Order: sequence, then C-alpha cells, then structure tokens
Amino acid sequence: MGFFSKLFKGPEIDMEKSNANAKKMRALFNQVVEGGDNYRLIFGYTEDVSRFNYGFVHGSKTKIGNLIVGWNEASQTIVVVPTVPDLSGCGDPTYYRRSEILKAYRNKYPTDAFIIYPDKKGYIGINAYDWLEDEKLYVYVSQDEELAAFTDFFMNRFATK
Amino acid sequence: MPLGEIEAFLLFLVTVFIFGNLWFHFVEAILRWIKKLFIRHRKPPAWHTLPPDEEDRKK
Repeated sequence: MGFFSKLFKGPEIDMEKSNANAKKMRALFNQVVEGGDNYRLIFGYTEDVSRFNYGFVHGSKTKIGNLIVGWNEASQTIVVVPTVPDLSGCGDPTYYRRSEILKAYRNKYPTDAFIIYPDKKGYIGINAYDWLEDEKLYVYVSQDEELAAFTDFFMNRFATK
Repeated sequence: MPLGEIEAFLLFLVTVFIFGNLWFHFVEAILRWIKKLFIRHRKPPAWHTLPPDEEDRKK
C-alpha cells in the first residue's frame, strides 16, 4: 500500500490492544458486580464542563470520567462502574434499574448522550462512541456492535419517553 | 507597520499569555488547597485494582 493511500485511509484500530482492553473491562466489571457475566459491556464516559472566571482570565474546564457500562436486558438494569483510561482499577458500581429511576432519555444537544435521572437530585450523562483514538483520555476499545446493541436496548427498553 | 513594532506587539501577547497561564495555575492551586481543607475528613472512594490475568498468574 502506498504512502498516500495509507494517509487518506485514516487511523486504523489496533484490534489486539482493543481486545486486550475489552478483556480487562470484563475482569474489572466481574470483580465488582455480582453475576457480572449476565451483563453486556461498553465503554462510556462522562463530561463535566465548568466555567471559571479568575479576574482577567476566564474560560471553561472539561473533566472526563471513564466508565464501564454494563446492561442486562432481562432485568432492565444498567450498571455504571468508574474506571481510568489504562484500566488499572475501578470504583464501586452504581445500579440504575428501570423500575426505580425517575427518567431516562437520549439527549440531542449538545451531545447525543444517554441521560439517566435516578432521582430529582442528580443525573448521569453517558457518552459512548464506537472508538476513540486518544488513549490518554479514553479507554482504547473498538465497540461498534456493542454500542449498537446498547443504543437499541436504551432507546427501546430502557428510555422512559 | 515597522518590524520592531510588530515584534514588540508579539512580545506583549506572549507576556500576556504567560502571565495568564501563571495566574490560572496560581488561583487553581489556592482553590485546590481550600477544597482539600474541607474534604480532609471525608473517606476516599473505594478503589479495586485489576486482578492479575490467569496467564500472568501461571508465569
């Protein structure tokens, strides 16, 4: 393959790395969630944008939080586990059962995030894409099929409106 | 516009940029320090490290 055809083809996914990370995601998820194998997994992230004004310097800051998102079709439950881009560890899981949440829907603007309100006090916005190249910020994993399955589950069986 | 003036203007912009950055990090550090004072007694969130792989264990 010539140099230019390679250049125009765009970035290629390293499937070996992606599969290794998918395996790590599964190991972490199963470690903290009982019956973890009953859940399908995707990688998602949250974005926390805050504005600051320090006198003559002002702007906005974005904090990215990486998540392992598991879903179980039968129990209509989404489990969210916080993690880090290198998947060296994870936090405690949070369960969102459809019967217990206030509302869930897919956002349109500014991003097409999956929004879940467990109660009136707060919400979580889960962003998910089939692949994100920046390994320093996001988990390196290719997930076309899983993302399509999650989107279908969320829109048709989990969303409340 | 003479070259000297352009250079002086660019130098001014670079100075503003550097000072703005320093100011931003200075204020951030103070805010972080104040925040730390308030959450000193709060328990850190639980963290579970990745379990060793089966293949790694055999090695």
